[in-house]
Amino acid sequence: MTPLVHATTPGGFLLVLAVILPVCAVLAILACGPRSAARIALATFAAGFAVAIAIATELVSSGKALSYVVGAWQPPLGIALRADGLSGAMLVMTALVVVAVGLFAHIQHGLQTDTGGGRAQTTFWVMLLALWSALNAVFVGEDLFNLYVALELLTFAAVPLVCLDGRAETVTAALRYLLFALIGSLLYLLGAGLIYGQYGTLDLLALAQLGRRDPALAVALALMIVGLLAKAALFPLHLWLPPAHAGAPAPASAVLSALVIKAPVFLILRLVLDVAPPQAAATAGQMLAVLGAASILFCSVMALRQARLKLMIAYSTVAQIGYLFIVFPLAAGSADLPPWGTIAWTGGALQLVSHALAKAAMFLAAGVVAEAFGHDRIADLGGFGRVLPISAAAFGLAGLSLMGIPPSGGFVAKCLLLTAAVIQGNPWLAATILAGGVLAGAYVFRVIDKALAVPTVPIVARCAVPRRLECAALALAIAAVLIGFVPLRPFGFLQIGRDGLNMAWAP
Amino acid sequence: MSGAGLLLAAALFFPLVLVICCLSARFRARALAVVVIAPLPALAAAVLVPEGRFAFFPAPFRLTLVLDQPGAILLGGAALLWSAAGAYAASLMARDPAASRFAIWWLLTLAGSLGLFIVGDVVNFYLLFTLASLSAYGLIIHEQSASAHRAGVIYVGLALLGEALLLIALVMLSATHPDANPQIRSVVADLPASAMRDGTLALFIIGFALKMGLVPLHVWLPLAHPAAPTPASAVLSGVVVKAGVIGLIRFLPFEAGAPLWGSVLIGVGLVTAYYGVIVGITQPRAKTVLAYSTVSQMGLLAVLLGIGLDTADPAVTNLTAYYAVHHTLVKGALFLGVGILATTGGRRLRLALLLTAVLALSLGGMPLTSGALAKLATKPLFGYGWLAGAMTLAGAGSTALMLHFLLILRRDTAGNPAGSPALGQLLPWLVVVAAAFLIPWSLYPAVSGETVPGLLQSEALWKVTWPMLLGAVAMLFVHRLPQRLGAIPEGDIIVLAQAAQPLARRFSDRIGGIDAHFRRWPVAGFVLIALAILFGGVLMLQA
Repeated sequence: MTPLVHATTPGGFLLVLAVILPVCAVLAILACGPRSAARIALATFAAGFAVAIAIATELVSSGKALSYVVGAWQPPLGIALRADGLSGAMLVMTALVVVAVGLFAHIQHGLQTDTGGGRAQTTFWVMLLALWSALNAVFVGEDLFNLYVALELLTFAAVPLVCLDGRAETVTAALRYLLFALIGSLLYLLGAGLIYGQYGTLDLLALAQLGRRDPALAVALALMIVGLLAKAALFPLHLWLPPAHAGAPAPASAVLSALVIKAPVFLILRLVLDVAPPQAAATAGQMLAVLGAASILFCSVMALRQARLKLMIAYSTVAQIGYLFIVFPLAAGSADLPPWGTIAWTGGALQLVSHALAKAAMFLAAGVVAEAFGHDRIADLGGFGRVLPISAAAFGLAGLSLMGIPPSGGFVAKCLLLTAAVIQGNPWLAATILAGGVLAGAYVFRVIDKALAVPTVPIVARCAVPRRLECAALALAIAAVLIGFVPLRPFGFLQIGRDGLNMAWAP
Repeated sequence: MSGAGLLLAAALFFPLVLVICCLSARFRARALAVVVIAPLPALAAAVLVPEGRFAFFPAPFRLTLVLDQPGAILLGGAALLWSAAGAYAASLMARDPAASRFAIWWLLTLAGSLGLFIVGDVVNFYLLFTLASLSAYGLIIHEQSASAHRAGVIYVGLALLGEALLLIALVMLSATHPDANPQIRSVVADLPASAMRDGTLALFIIGFALKMGLVPLHVWLPLAHPAAPTPASAVLSGVVVKAGVIGLIRFLPFEAGAPLWGSVLIGVGLVTAYYGVIVGITQPRAKTVLAYSTVSQMGLLAVLLGIGLDTADPAVTNLTAYYAVHHTLVKGALFLGVGILATTGGRRLRLALLLTAVLALSLGGMPLTSGALAKLATKPLFGYGWLAGAMTLAGAGSTALMLHFLLILRRDTAGNPAGSPALGQLLPWLVVVAAAFLIPWSLYPAVSGETVPGLLQSEALWKVTWPMLLGAVAMLFVHRLPQRLGAIPEGDIIVLAQAAQPLARRFSDRIGGIDAHFRRWPVAGFVLIALAILFGGVLMLQA
């Protein structure tokens, strides 16, 4: 067999742009000062969104993965960037959420009349852009150490977003997040070091072609996967997520819950599917599925118990992340069908994307609610649907996707996962998916019920909320619903560029 | 697309277009006035579109609409009741500040429940089923009383459970089918050969039984139907429960038969038929009695379908639809009648009571009414064994329950001041009453294959009369029972479920405790290391 090497493809420079464009914007903000921060950020959103769309079009038109070899130095000496169909989907999803959240934040900042918020606003723009760059780097990275750097950048951009308002409790939450994420990074770095010591390469494509099984690789994989689990906050490693995501300002919560935790999940997917030998991948997949199922059931009940809206949404995130982990055994391929040809693979990817859109919409809607009423205690929100009809509608539509009710992306995702579970004869996973859906229905319904209620004392908004602020959430929720119109079958776009990695599965 | 296809499409999409129009505030303010026309395309489709016509919408909608005989019968009756009840609602709630919201929920439920009768593909069936189920919540809680809220919460909880069961059943049904969104007809034809046949059938029966309100999954029905405003009660009890009936008609393999599940349906149906009567007869509120009567009647429909499944007789679906449309119109008229009687007094009251009495006794099978036709049309199915006897006894029970209902009505309306209901409410009621008599007569020859004059022979009359007399005699005795009224609370066994509430709360607190434990630093750190060792160990064993 001829060893596969990276080669720069036409359009490969777009990947570089996707990573460095936000970094350039950060530098520009630092150079030009806080006054122009919002303007630079908005311009970057437009450009970055265009780049993401360009990458997706390039993928579709060429039908092959995009690659870029930095400085034309082949790995292991140089660095390669590569985007296949799944990465392309992640890039577009990230751009969509970041743009919507950015617009929301811009409108919200415009409402704040006091001048004291200026520093926090600049910090927000800088951190959001840095976070975007880090996410894109994770999605196109091909080198374990590069990915480590991207993950660290992600963490260091996300932590300040948690404690943007500087209250003592959010600082505590941010520290908790930082410490636990650092322990996770440490484990990941240890694993990456082991691999480098053993094989002398960190390139994922090269590792995929090794096809070796030895204890060192097993230990390295275990360390990296568990380290990433800590960053993804899968149950029972979710200690940092609820206070951090619930305490952050609404736009920050939206990107944290929708995007930031998806990066480690994406990496686990790549490690298990591309690097791990088949048997190890199957075993690791089973174990991850157990944790995922526990996460779905346990944290859905926790979400149902929460008295505060944002905490409820945060626990729901931990529960929904669980669905991404039960994909592993369901997407186990066979001799003639690679994992990415299965319906479970498409289902998992759709779950990832539709959860990102729906969760961002929910956090933004919750932010509007908190802004309007000054609190987010669910019990005292009776009748908020009258005051904020658009936010209530956004919450409801996003809720449809979480519950898996048609037509929505969540429905298609759950339907595909269920079909995979039924075909494989895996009743436990099927029951878990269904139970998770019913529990999600219960906690979403709790809020919808409050929105529709007519309390004896009508609820009044503390301040007027402009419609355009609410519309950002609605747009994301509608996007989550529209994903429901993709066909119920393995989705060609997600398979682009996966064929080259087939040999990882050859015995 | 042909004219027939367009009409079918309009039946489904016209109400949805009206919902979209409600985005405009000006339209929304008058939305309740237009709900009367929303089901008219469906009514026209039921009458004008020839059987077997279909409409197909390509991707990304992948929607198939198809009209067959059971679908057309149910669609026609349901559309008529929706329209009349809509007119009634427009008159009743003209001054209600929340009328526009009510109209939106109304239109959504309407679109879902009517669409179910004509949809032909699996995914859109689920979509419309969900739409009808969940939108009905808005109708139930409209009056915002504490009891309406409780009913709404219980309703949504069970509806979500039903959705989940139905989803897995549909996935099991079509998992091995090459088309991702197959036609219902083709997957159901493959079902008898499927390895998961029994599991799929069991899930379908449970899922649709929840919607129909078969015992013991009926608990939401006697709470939800009376809680809604009167016109909404009429459509909930008359049409929306039929979502379960059309589901069973569509998804059970009547061609191939399934004797085991046929017997299960017969058994559950009989228990439900009697249970509804026994509990209903202890209820002091007229609308609750009607709701229990719906439970009982749905049991009879389940028996019919069970016989069809048992004997592999597809013709049963037509007879079931015929029985169901009789129930749709009569029950709708009775619920509207409760509202009419509440505002009527003096001499007109006696006339209205008389009309209501005829309608009510029609459910028990009073000669020359639609009830008698439905019973005579289905009678040959039961044979001459114990089943025929059991069904006759159920008819007697229905009569007794309806006599109980009439006694309550007489008591409630005794003190009414002289007056007459608004014309906008009276007229729709009279239309439904007339339809309840005329439609079953006009369909009878086509469905049963017998002629109308055969119905007027004394033998046929006696066949339906003596169970009524039996029921009347039984009521004479039951009427004297002390402390009968209110002996069983509304929703009967839901009270038992509520006794389990502390248990659920303790479980939830336990989960909360475990979560707090896991979120402590030492525990989380330990779990992290333990997981790393576990993963490493297991992966090393593989290497």
